[in-house]
Amino acid sequence: MSLLPGPMDPLTETALNWLDGFLPIAASIVPPHRRLEWAKEWQAELWQLRHNPRRVANRGAAEIASLAYGLMADAAWLRLDWARDSARGSAASCLVTLFAYCLLCAAIELELAGSWHVFVQTLTVHFLGGFVFVAAPAMVAAVGTYPLRPLRCDGHHTRLKRVLSVRARWNLFLSAKVGLTLILGFLVSVVTAIPARMAVGRYADWVELFVSSLVVTIGLRWALLNQEQRCQKCLRMLSEPTRVGAPSRNFLEWNGTELVCTEGHGLLHVPEMQGSWCWYDRWVELDPSWGGLFGS
Amino acid sequence: MSSGKLSHSVAIILKALSLGYQFGFEIMEVSGLPSGTVYPALRRLERDGLVSSNWEAEDEAQKEQRPARRYYELTRVGKEVESTATKRYPLLSRLIPEKLVKTV
Repeated sequence: MSLLPGPMDPLTETALNWLDGFLPIAASIVPPHRRLEWAKEWQAELWQLRHNPRRVANRGAAEIASLAYGLMADAAWLRLDWARDSARGSAASCLVTLFAYCLLCAAIELELAGSWHVFVQTLTVHFLGGFVFVAAPAMVAAVGTYPLRPLRCDGHHTRLKRVLSVRARWNLFLSAKVGLTLILGFLVSVVTAIPARMAVGRYADWVELFVSSLVVTIGLRWALLNQEQRCQKCLRMLSEPTRVGAPSRNFLEWNGTELVCTEGHGLLHVPEMQGSWCWYDRWVELDPSWGGLFGS
Repeated sequence: MSSGKLSHSVAIILKALSLGYQFGFEIMEVSGLPSGTVYPALRRLERDGLVSSNWEAEDEAQKEQRPARRYYELTRVGKEVESTATKRYPLLSRLIPEKLVKTV
């Protein structure tokens, strides 16, 4: 059998032309910043196939279907990977995760209650009969024990091209996060008290009160701390913590940890020790000229 | 990615790369794996730092009158993982033949 490629039969030619036409459709799935390179790579691969038509000729339609699937699978993988990377640490993923936990707890409670009527009644009784009395002091405790510092998002930022101002988005996200944390705290306390209720009856209310206060205090502290570790512009979690300076030189220069927004919006300086020149964490906004240092 | 988490197809792709097969079509040809497995696996390996890629020089490709290819190669970590996988699955060496001639 000759190893040299023979003349391409019309059917193979048609199939390869169809694949060429399919390429732009699959390319539309690829994230925009990788699309050009991706299409170039696949064009080179399809050229290879066109000049080694034995593979297509031997397997016919199955090979073309497999390649079309490969194109789509490759494009879809890149899109999913990009979407996963974009969502990591974002405000939306934080709210979605909290909401998902709320739904999970509610589903468990509904399953145990047996019907919507009992479910709603149970939640109403537990909310009005205990949670409201616990949530208020717990909120005071969480906020009261939080160190005083100036408002992180002071509104002096270059306005992003969005409907809401940076500060409005900051406050909206904080409110939504606190709201969902409180709901989750309530649902968790109700669900965790169920085994106790089965064992000790009405005395389980004390367990529920204790769990509520604990969960709400910890949850609210988390919500506030989490907000402090986010970029003021895009609300993404800051990352890449880097130690800067040495504690022994504290008298002459600052030392502590520096966190960065992966989108390149700014840096957060967290001092190791408070000094007269740096009482609080300091946010340093970076202008767009720094963009080249940060990946796409 | 540790070799313990390697799938069979990824181990084959790493082996093919270690034997000098450099681009998607070549790997598909030598391994018999479908494109729907080879390309996403190459992307994942590149993301995980086991494989790096670079574009062939345009003049090299023009000499052979074809579009420039994207070549993949194992990184240092990739080589370590490949050698661990080969020790664990000795049949891998028999599945993929050494690359003898340059693919046009």
